[in-house]
Amino acid sequence: MIVTSGVTKAYSGKRNVVALDAVDLHVERGEMVSIVGPSGSGKSTLLDLIGALDRPTSGWIELDGQRLDGLNDDGLTRVRRDKIGFIFQFFNLLPTLSCLENIALPLHLRGWPRARCVERARELIDLVQLRDRAEHLPDELSGGERQRVAIARALANNPPVLLADEPTGNLDSKTGSAILELLKDLHQRLNATILLVTHDQYVAASCSRTVSLRDGRIISDTRR
Amino acid sequence: MILLKLITWPYVRRHKVRTALTMLGIVLGVAVFVGMHTANESVLLAFQKTIDRIAGKAQLQISTGEGGFPEEVLDTVQAMPEVRVAVPVIEAPVDTGRKGEGNLLILATDMTGDRSLRDYDLDSGDDAVIDDPLVFLAQPDSLMVTREYADRNGLRIGSRVPMLTMDGEKQFTVRGTMKSGGLTQAFGGNVAIMDIYAAQKVFGRGRRFDRIDLALKEGVGIAQGRAAIEKALGAGFQVEPPASRGQQVDSVLRVYRVTVNLNSAFALFIGMFIIYNSFAIAVTQRRSEIGILRALGASSSQIRNLFLTESALTGLVGSVGGLGLGMLMARGLAVYVSSLLSGIFGIAERASEISINPTILVGGLVMGIATSTIAGFLPARDAARVDPIQALQKGKHQTLSAGENRARRIVAMVCAVAAAASLLLSSVPVFFYAGFLLTLLTMLLLSPTWTLWLTRAMRPALKWLRPIEGALAADSLIEAPRRTSSAVAALMLSLAFVISLGGVTRASYNSIMDWTTSALNPDLFVTPSPTLTDRSFQFPQGVGDTLRAIDGVADVQSVRSQRILFDHTEVLLIAVEARSLGQRARRPAVEGPASMYDLAGAGKGVILSENLGRLHHLHAGDTIELASPTGLHRIPVVGVVVDWSDQGGSILIDRATYVSWWRDDTVSVFRVYTRPGVAPVDVRQRIIEQLAGTRRCFVLTNADVRAFIKNLADQWDDLAYAQIAIAVLIAILGIVNTLTVSIIDRRRELGVLRAVGGLRNQVRYTIWIEAQVIAMVGLVLGAACGAVMLKYVFVMTERDISGVALPYTFPAGIAALLVPIILVSAFVASLWPAESAVRGSLAEALEYE
Repeated sequence: MIVTSGVTKAYSGKRNVVALDAVDLHVERGEMVSIVGPSGSGKSTLLDLIGALDRPTSGWIELDGQRLDGLNDDGLTRVRRDKIGFIFQFFNLLPTLSCLENIALPLHLRGWPRARCVERARELIDLVQLRDRAEHLPDELSGGERQRVAIARALANNPPVLLADEPTGNLDSKTGSAILELLKDLHQRLNATILLVTHDQYVAASCSRTVSLRDGRIISDTRR
Repeated sequence: MILLKLITWPYVRRHKVRTALTMLGIVLGVAVFVGMHTANESVLLAFQKTIDRIAGKAQLQISTGEGGFPEEVLDTVQAMPEVRVAVPVIEAPVDTGRKGEGNLLILATDMTGDRSLRDYDLDSGDDAVIDDPLVFLAQPDSLMVTREYADRNGLRIGSRVPMLTMDGEKQFTVRGTMKSGGLTQAFGGNVAIMDIYAAQKVFGRGRRFDRIDLALKEGVGIAQGRAAIEKALGAGFQVEPPASRGQQVDSVLRVYRVTVNLNSAFALFIGMFIIYNSFAIAVTQRRSEIGILRALGASSSQIRNLFLTESALTGLVGSVGGLGLGMLMARGLAVYVSSLLSGIFGIAERASEISINPTILVGGLVMGIATSTIAGFLPARDAARVDPIQALQKGKHQTLSAGENRARRIVAMVCAVAAAASLLLSSVPVFFYAGFLLTLLTMLLLSPTWTLWLTRAMRPALKWLRPIEGALAADSLIEAPRRTSSAVAALMLSLAFVISLGGVTRASYNSIMDWTTSALNPDLFVTPSPTLTDRSFQFPQGVGDTLRAIDGVADVQSVRSQRILFDHTEVLLIAVEARSLGQRARRPAVEGPASMYDLAGAGKGVILSENLGRLHHLHAGDTIELASPTGLHRIPVVGVVVDWSDQGGSILIDRATYVSWWRDDTVSVFRVYTRPGVAPVDVRQRIIEQLAGTRRCFVLTNADVRAFIKNLADQWDDLAYAQIAIAVLIAILGIVNTLTVSIIDRRRELGVLRAVGGLRNQVRYTIWIEAQVIAMVGLVLGAACGAVMLKYVFVMTERDISGVALPYTFPAGIAALLVPIILVSAFVASLWPAESAVRGSLAEALEYE
């Protein structure tokens, strides 16, 4: 499902910094993989590159059978729209849109008819058990509820890959656990491929595979 | 200071273009103020010098406005014991037909006496001619030109200069050239001397002079001499030192000066908005920097002072730039100011050097710094309010430019109530103008609220059009109305100015065209000059009889117009056969009975123009005093009519009364009516054939005159178009600034949009729609504010500027024209911000803060 081959990301400036150094990674369909490592190890950079938010300096990435190199900006956007669902640490919900509108956002961007967008958004809000919050603005929700909305939004297009960057990092442990359970449940029910960046050993341990990074290189790859 | 060096300077170096753009508003505002006022002063100074040069050693000048007076007056003056020497003068500009030379001022004097007043400083070898003035006098075709004029036009002693005189084209001979210096420097050397008696024939003055220049005997003070002459001649004569003519020049510039001040205030005001926006951007961009400073121990007042100092320094640098640009502008503007004043002498003064007035420079500097500091106040306050915890915490966001608050609305309401109260007392000018300013202030203070309401009202439609892009664009404005409101307010004010100017222009234009239809209805106008406004030449009365005898002519009215001093201001006196005028051309009456023309015809009254009546608070039934060469005459006002003949107003008097009081039977224009069925062009041809070769005359058709007046009226439209150009510039600058702030504020939001699948075009649409919403809100508020301002401007025009009551006319055509112009400008303005929104790093945008 996800293949990275010799992926390197370097930032040039007064001093050249290599954030990722020739990373090779294979993730099978339906796997739930955690990526761990200290700050600056390159885990978020790896997630950005797999998520088509950024381009590698060298190497290539394949997602659901499609190579990302050679795609222009709009091509990458289509990949994000059709194949990836993002879950961010800080939720990144649009503050002026209601929960339902936030969830329907990717569908509108895809050009779905309005009624279908609303119908699908309602299905998803039921899935994350926030039906009674549908018309609320993000500011009116708790952190856990916001992350549920963000997860629902990530699932809107039925993407084969879910990418989560510290999904519990901004939540208390109880809420974090609940979100993790939700992700595991979705993983089982939808058979989605989930790649999850975390600092939290508990979260990492709950995944079937853990990839450890240090100084931009994979130092261990553990399957349970 | 250390903060300025460590924090401000690196930021300025990183954003050179933006810093330059920020200063541009102040540079322009100060430049307009300094440039226009310096040009004004320089030209006035040059004019004053010219007046002194022409006056020579004359201590007093005697005149009766433009009309002149009979020769006998000179005898009276010369016989007075206080007077040492008195010489007659005729002064008139003539077009010599030489390309690029403009008019030549003919100064005609009596050579026998004038050399004791004016030094002609002749080139050697030619003195013989003037040493014996009789030689000059004996040859009435003699002309003396300046060395500069002769050199420029290749003239030498004996050269022939053709001139179209009242008796047809005549050849004049150059019999002397004057050395550089003194008199010859007036009007860049475009001055020629002629014998006074020759000039009487050339200009159709009859046995009349325009002026007497005189010097008093030793021991006689100017005040004493003046009093004695005034007593001897009566109230119809103005006896004044030459310098007082400078005041006349100054008064001509009154409207121009008001315009100058308005323009520079407007430019500075817009500059204030640009600076506000730029500093708002800076505070938004430097939020984390401010957070670090606060975390390291900087107090909120230190942060506020840092930003205030930055804005003051921006003002200082911008103002210095403005002073430089202003001095450059002054050179160009001096030409324009000169042309404004050219009507006084008929020749444009050439200001050779720009006079630098320290008061103007310091005034410009202070204005620039004050404007910039005021503009920087709110962003500085926002900077001081940055929460260091939020600023430093990743993922937290503090919108600084939101702030739509209740306190502002309350202040706005107080201003609105005060404005309404001022309206009740608006008969007192200070209350009226205070009310105007308070109304503007109310609108400015309410613009964020109105922006919010209008955007909310538009949101459903925008969402329906583009569910995500439309909603996000509207939300961006709804969430931070203050971010948008500076652009909206600038646009609103700018458009309001366009609407006000357009409304007054349109109403004046309509009124002028109505007036030309009802009042200017003769078929032909026979004049001694190519335009109706040039009054240098006059016809003898007898030409009227010649015209009446021409086949096809039904009626001829003889008009003598001249500027006279009335109630300390210059007005136009129009003498015409009043009864005939009443029968032929009925000017729209404002006051007075239907018989007003008959009453005037019987010498029982005068008819005033509406603007004169209003400016001097006169109505039908009042009695006015007219000072003529035969003394002071009291006469009733029998009517008030709409008349656009003169900006200062006009007095219509019956010709017979005029001839008797002014002892002047010359004619400025003959208004000719043709018989029914006779083509005016045929009559025109007959008139030309009859008078050609013997008379200097121009025959204008009714269409020619209307076209001339329409052309003058159209020039006001150009002003409106210039104002539209400024509005477009403001729209672009304001919208670019606002969208830049908006994109910085919403960098993460736009990043999310793209991360969840928003194509670049979809992000662009969001920004474009946002720009269109700003433009639409600006247009709606501009039209509303303009409609209110227009009401004030009409009252201002009627009461304090022209005195003409114009019907309230909303310039719907101009308003409609503004819609596509501003919407397209907004789209153009949004292109660059939209590109910057889609070009940045997505990963960074999502990590932003």
